Amino acid sequence: MGKNTQTNRVTMATIANSFNPREIDNTDDIPGRRAPLVTGNQTYGSVTDIVCRVAEDAQPMLWWVLFGFSSMTAVSFLTLITFLIYKGVGIWGNMNPVFWAWPIVNFVFWVGIGHAGTLISAILFLFRQNWRTSINRAAEAMTIFAVICAGIYPGIHVGRAWLAFWLLPYPSLNLWMWPQFRSPLLWDVFAVGTYASVSLVFWYMGMIPDLATYRDRSKSPLRRMVYGILCLGWTGSSRHWLRYEKAYTLLAAFAAPLVLSVHTVVSFDFAVSQVAGWHTTIFPPYFVAGAIFSGFAMVVTLLVPLRAIYKLENLITLRHLDNMNKIILATGSLVGLAYATEFFMAWYSQNQYEGFTFMNRAFGPYWWAYWTMVTCNVISPQLFWFKKLRTSPFWMVVISIFVNIGMWFERFVITVTSLSRDFLPSSWGYFRPTLFDGLMFFGSFGVFMSLFLLFCRFLPTIAMSEVKGIMSAAAHSEHAEGAHGHNH
Amino acid sequence: MSEHKPRKTTEKKVPKAFGWMAEYQDENSLLAAARKVRDSGYTKTDAFTPFPVHGIDEALGIKPTILPFIVLCAGLTGLSTALLMQWWMNGVDYKYIISAKPFGITPASIPVAFELTVLFSAFTTFLGMIALNQLPKFSNPVFTNPRFDRATNDRFFLYVEAADKYYNRDSVKELLGGTHPDSLDEVLEDTTPSALPRPIILGTILLVIAGLIPAMIILNIRAGYSTAPRFHVFFDMDFQPKKKAQQTTTIFADGRSMRPQVKGTVGRGQLEEQDPFYLGYDPSKLTAIDTLETGKFVSLQEPKATDSSAASPASGLTSDGSAQTPAAPSATLNLPWIDKLPIEVNEANIAVGKQKFETYCSACHGYAGFGDGLVHKRADSLAQGYWLAPTSLHVDKVRSQPVGQIFHTITKGQGKMASYASSLNPKERWAIVLYVRALQKSRNADLSEVPADMVKTLDEVK
Repeated sequence: MGKNTQTNRVTMATIANSFNPREIDNTDDIPGRRAPLVTGNQTYGSVTDIVCRVAEDAQPMLWWVLFGFSSMTAVSFLTLITFLIYKGVGIWGNMNPVFWAWPIVNFVFWVGIGHAGTLISAILFLFRQNWRTSINRAAEAMTIFAVICAGIYPGIHVGRAWLAFWLLPYPSLNLWMWPQFRSPLLWDVFAVGTYASVSLVFWYMGMIPDLATYRDRSKSPLRRMVYGILCLGWTGSSRHWLRYEKAYTLLAAFAAPLVLSVHTVVSFDFAVSQVAGWHTTIFPPYFVAGAIFSGFAMVVTLLVPLRAIYKLENLITLRHLDNMNKIILATGSLVGLAYATEFFMAWYSQNQYEGFTFMNRAFGPYWWAYWTMVTCNVISPQLFWFKKLRTSPFWMVVISIFVNIGMWFERFVITVTSLSRDFLPSSWGYFRPTLFDGLMFFGSFGVFMSLFLLFCRFLPTIAMSEVKGIMSAAAHSEHAEGAHGHNH
Repeated sequence: MSEHKPRKTTEKKVPKAFGWMAEYQDENSLLAAARKVRDSGYTKTDAFTPFPVHGIDEALGIKPTILPFIVLCAGLTGLSTALLMQWWMNGVDYKYIISAKPFGITPASIPVAFELTVLFSAFTTFLGMIALNQLPKFSNPVFTNPRFDRATNDRFFLYVEAADKYYNRDSVKELLGGTHPDSLDEVLEDTTPSALPRPIILGTILLVIAGLIPAMIILNIRAGYSTAPRFHVFFDMDFQPKKKAQQTTTIFADGRSMRPQVKGTVGRGQLEEQDPFYLGYDPSKLTAIDTLETGKFVSLQEPKATDSSAASPASGLTSDGSAQTPAAPSATLNLPWIDKLPIEVNEANIAVGKQKFETYCSACHGYAGFGDGLVHKRADSLAQGYWLAPTSLHVDKVRSQPVGQIFHTITKGQGKMASYASSLNPKERWAIVLYVRALQKSRNADLSEVPADMVKTLDEVK
């Protein structure tokens, strides 16, 4: 029996004493040396402690306040949905000629946000971006909750929501017919359905080893049993790890094109139609860039408070946030380029309807929405050229919230301006939302936040096993260089 | 789940031993020890680590997994399922004709094919990993030692199983002891009770029963019979805010929800109501009294009180029915019948009339029109005198009728005879009238009316 089993264990007290977030700045790149992705001289045990503390300790007052507010909002949202089903979609402002109004705008908005998680988990994994390990779990959880919010809107927008399952190809005894497989709306059912279920599997599989950690630290038998069932009896066997890693790589390889396909198919809902302003081939890449843009903004919005509330600054470091802000800057510039390209094509094609649509967007009755979109999406992320703003938690939250406001307006501008003034001037109209439109958009944030807060409360917010894996790899590369070794 | 209580060193009953477990502080010590164990020839070994340790597969001699091959098969299954499904559903079983686009597999099939390929592959990846790892497995001897809890935290364990063919309790202990582990324990059988606690079993049973209740209610409603009004979960279009023909309304001053025809307009089919071709009489020559009579057309199809004597069981009917033909209501009907056929008299029309007469009329009236069709013969023999014979077309009453009246009889029906308006279009009905006229002529002509060259033939037939 060993005598020194507790010597290397970092206690909570030592973390608290050594912790000073102001001293941690790993955003500088020193030539010839990789910047550390985990700060504060962490050991494997201390990483476990930091992460498990989030769920094991009593939740801070702020959590209860936020959860109380967001769960009440979520319940109100469900009540409003019940009322909608009872009364009909007439309570919304959807009216001739804009039948695709806020429900579709909200759907595209949430699906777009739901792109960051799997992108971080899959694409950054395939590119061996190790900084993804601290943020991927929370981002994946956010993805799933965003896709849940997104899925609600088409489900209740179909009018008879209790028959929404008619979207699926099943041998119906009432209809005696099949769905129309040449319709982009059906592709959407398959794309969003596949994305939601594969993301869920990816998220859950990633959590299994960490759920086993939660199980093994549990004090109460009930907690031990629940986490034991959730982690499927994971032991950490190397034979299991081998298949697990292979499965993770495979899932990443499937999820990477899937992420790109989802918003591509969502853009087909518009691009395959013949409405001016929708019927453009630029839509798939433009939508995907916008989705990554809004998704990363939402991750930043959530992670900055998360790391502050739960003292995760040593794992979710400034460098992680800095990297995400760089991606926001890049995708924001891509989105700006797409806006400019749309205008260029409207002029270059010399198509009078395209030309009119884009002039109408910028200077027509919805000019306020268009310029809100441009300000938030194109101008505000350009502030991230300044490192000071890119590494300031306060400013990055402000800018990321602006980005998401802008991305909502982007979908509003695309959907509403094109529909309100199409080919027949006698059928033009001006869309006015009702109170229910606003309440039911706000309500979806309640669902989203409630689920995210419950996730923080009960599930591992950071992928511990992956963080430990990159710590081990970093220690080994330093060994190889003959530099300072891993402390053991 | 296994209970985690430190085991007493002095045990009454010796539990079964599964092997030796050595604990290390870091992955490098583990790798060194694993190589040593592998080089000693042990194969039933395993390591337990909080994260996948790089190089452990080589150090333990773990073979690569076949998972990618399984996933490839699943992906191909997903792809072919998607293509077959789209081809069959939209190209074979239920064809959608849209913009002259081809059926079956087209570029429009690509998105769904891609999504299903990914869906099948991803789920097989996950489930395949779970299955190959033989998870979930909640009872595992390695869990009996509370030290092992740190295998998911910050410690590294090396395990040599007793099932190994070279296993020897003491020599394995010596071998692992030589790798300087933090601790070295024997993995012992889990002797804690493995039965599920009673409340959990009870709770599960109650949950299952409670979960069946809604299904039972729905099944009962779907399969049972009830005289109570339908229960509407969702109203769909069962109750519509609309007015039906005979209901009252407050929208219009006259209180009627059914609106009269707007003056100066003609409804679909209304022109036919003014055309002798469709009526058999000339409506423009109707007098006020005639209008009243035409208004009773529907009721004329019912036997009138005045017909009751004629409709009473007839006795001694002759085959031509001439003696007892009931007094048809049309006898009292005196409309401005047209007496000139509105269709051309030619062989083609007579042929149409013959064919239609033989199809629709001959069953009762007989091929020659004597009212002796097969239906009559059969009914007469069965009803033993209660059967009212069809009218012979060769009685004076019918012979004297204008063509318009015969057309009207076919169109509206008479007595027992039903209306044939839905089976025969007006032109066919007029062709039958023409054929009936020809039939009548054939039985009621003077020899002088026969062309001279046919007289001889007639004589021969006689």
